[in-house]
Amino acid sequence: MKYRIVDEENGPTLVLSDQLLFDHRDLFDTAIDKLLARKQPKVVVDMAGLSYMDSAGLGMLLTLRDRADRAQVAVTLRKPGPEVAELLDLACFESLFTIERS
Amino acid sequence: MSAAAARALVVDDERMNREVIVANLRVAGFETVTAEDGLQAWEILDAHPGAFDVILLDRRMPRMDGMELLRKLKDDERLDHIPVIMQTAYADPQDVTDGIKAGAYYYLAKPLDRRLLLSVTEAAIADHQRRQRLLDDLDKRTTAMLLLDSGTFRFRTLDEGHTLAVALARACPQARHLVAGLSELFTNAVEHGNLGIGYDEKAQLLENRRWRQEIEARLDTPQGRNRRVEVQVTRQDDSISFVIRDQGDGFDWRGFGQISPERAFAPHGRGIALARNLAFDQVEYNESGNQVCARLNLAARPDDQEAPVCAIASSLNVAAPPLVSEEIQLARAMQLELLPQPKALDDLLRRSGLHLSAHFETSSSLGGDLWGVQVVDQYRTGLWVADFSGHGLVAALNVFRLHALIAQCAPVADMPAAFLSELSRRLSDLLPVGQYATMIYGVVDQSAGLFRYAAAAMPPPLLRQADGQIEKGDGAGLPLGLSSRVTYVERQMKLAPSGLLFLASDGLADNPDCDGVKLGNAGIKALIQESGQQCVADSVLAPFLARVARPLRDDLTAVCCRLP
Repeated sequence: MKYRIVDEENGPTLVLSDQLLFDHRDLFDTAIDKLLARKQPKVVVDMAGLSYMDSAGLGMLLTLRDRADRAQVAVTLRKPGPEVAELLDLACFESLFTIERS
Repeated sequence: MSAAAARALVVDDERMNREVIVANLRVAGFETVTAEDGLQAWEILDAHPGAFDVILLDRRMPRMDGMELLRKLKDDERLDHIPVIMQTAYADPQDVTDGIKAGAYYYLAKPLDRRLLLSVTEAAIADHQRRQRLLDDLDKRTTAMLLLDSGTFRFRTLDEGHTLAVALARACPQARHLVAGLSELFTNAVEHGNLGIGYDEKAQLLENRRWRQEIEARLDTPQGRNRRVEVQVTRQDDSISFVIRDQGDGFDWRGFGQISPERAFAPHGRGIALARNLAFDQVEYNESGNQVCARLNLAARPDDQEAPVCAIASSLNVAAPPLVSEEIQLARAMQLELLPQPKALDDLLRRSGLHLSAHFETSSSLGGDLWGVQVVDQYRTGLWVADFSGHGLVAALNVFRLHALIAQCAPVADMPAAFLSELSRRLSDLLPVGQYATMIYGVVDQSAGLFRYAAAAMPPPLLRQADGQIEKGDGAGLPLGLSSRVTYVERQMKLAPSGLLFLASDGLADNPDCDGVKLGNAGIKALIQESGQQCVADSVLAPFLARVARPLRDDLTAVCCRLP
């Protein structure tokens, strides 16, 4: 997984690329720290560049959601690619996150 | 595994080692009996000499060690034919050589690698059964071949080779040894010679249980139909010689003919050494390896001479077993014990006619998958597959939690949606944020002719109807353990006689093969479509298992339920 944080109009955006896998938990945690440190009411996770996410990736998104909830920050998942979208749909993540489709 | 109810005697003084082996063998369908040392094993064998198909023997034990027991077995004609697999933590070449000389057929290095344990055990039993069949046949043939002076024979298939080996051996002294030796050389000429199956390839085929199938397929190619093995037999005053010639490109026979302790750990490759040591006085290959001359001296050779059965193997490229601690080994054995045991599946088959089989494979020593059966009543059977997020130790510990919680949900076992809701509620109290399980729970309802199920983010259930059509269910749903108030929906699929219900964790679609290609949902469908009516999980998955990259990236569970 690779990431960068871009400050956009809608709030800080975590732009993910490559793959989100079990081994990237620590890296993802660090990214969440930085994202929430912006102290904005909304954050976005841009998933367009993410070619694959395994089931551990869902767990990381859940961790993000939990931490964001406690900080009263809303999370939007943006433009998941087909394979990632399939996994999000399978897990009914639409009921947990706002998902912006491409 | 195919050799149903083969029985193994597991001899080891350390309880944990016994449990690890027993757990693995049971999962593979073996019956097991354990002994704590050589003396206890001897007492069991002495009292029940016909009861065992294979013996797994530790070397260093109190009271009577493995070597002593091995010698006693080989000195007892009731027991000398049972294959013995020596386990050694030491892998000292001298130890291995001593064992080979004393008649140990196969070796396993500790810590045990599960796949190797099973493939070596199955190979030992299969080799043994084949030899027993040869001996049985030997007693049935007539003796006209005794008149044979010289002759040329040609054969094409393994069965023809088998028949010829029996007939020729019958014409010679030491027929019981000779038949095994000839059979080995004939088999080599067909599979390695005419059909061109390489050593590593054979190891792969054996491991995936496709060896027979591959032989049949290659025999049916134009080349396979045309090629013959020619056997020239010449009897002289002091010797009988067999010149065996195949029409292949030859093979590298070097290294297969003598004792080589470092190669004693592979599941096959014992044929030539067996032939040389057991049956013949001389075995010589030509340079390219497509012709072998085996000679038997007719000079005085005491009938009771017991040549050692040798464990020789070539360089099967098996990765060294991962070094895992004893605690992890024990945890692994315990985890395997959570899975439905063969007896429970037999009971289910008898009671409801449902034939249940599964493939369960972890990506590391411990896994995050689990599957199970929950009997509701005579006509209704709960069936489930679960997969914890992540893998390794944390996932495995969660699996133990889940297993305990599932038992508590038994009162709603007939209501899939309620079952998952209840399970999710209980899990959410236990799991930290970010950990969750995916699961499918369904009831095979034979009275209603339905599979009623609920799913929590699992790959869809697949149902193959008797006409071969495959129906895909829906696995969508929130993962378990996220919150205490999640409800699930009940879905259903219509069951018909002879249908095949297939459930799997995402490891099946997602584990890439050696070229990095994933099976995906379409690939899974194709596997099921191509499987026969009598398929089991292992046979459905065989083409996938042959190509998947190991170690697996994710745990893998697949369950097949065949309807009556």
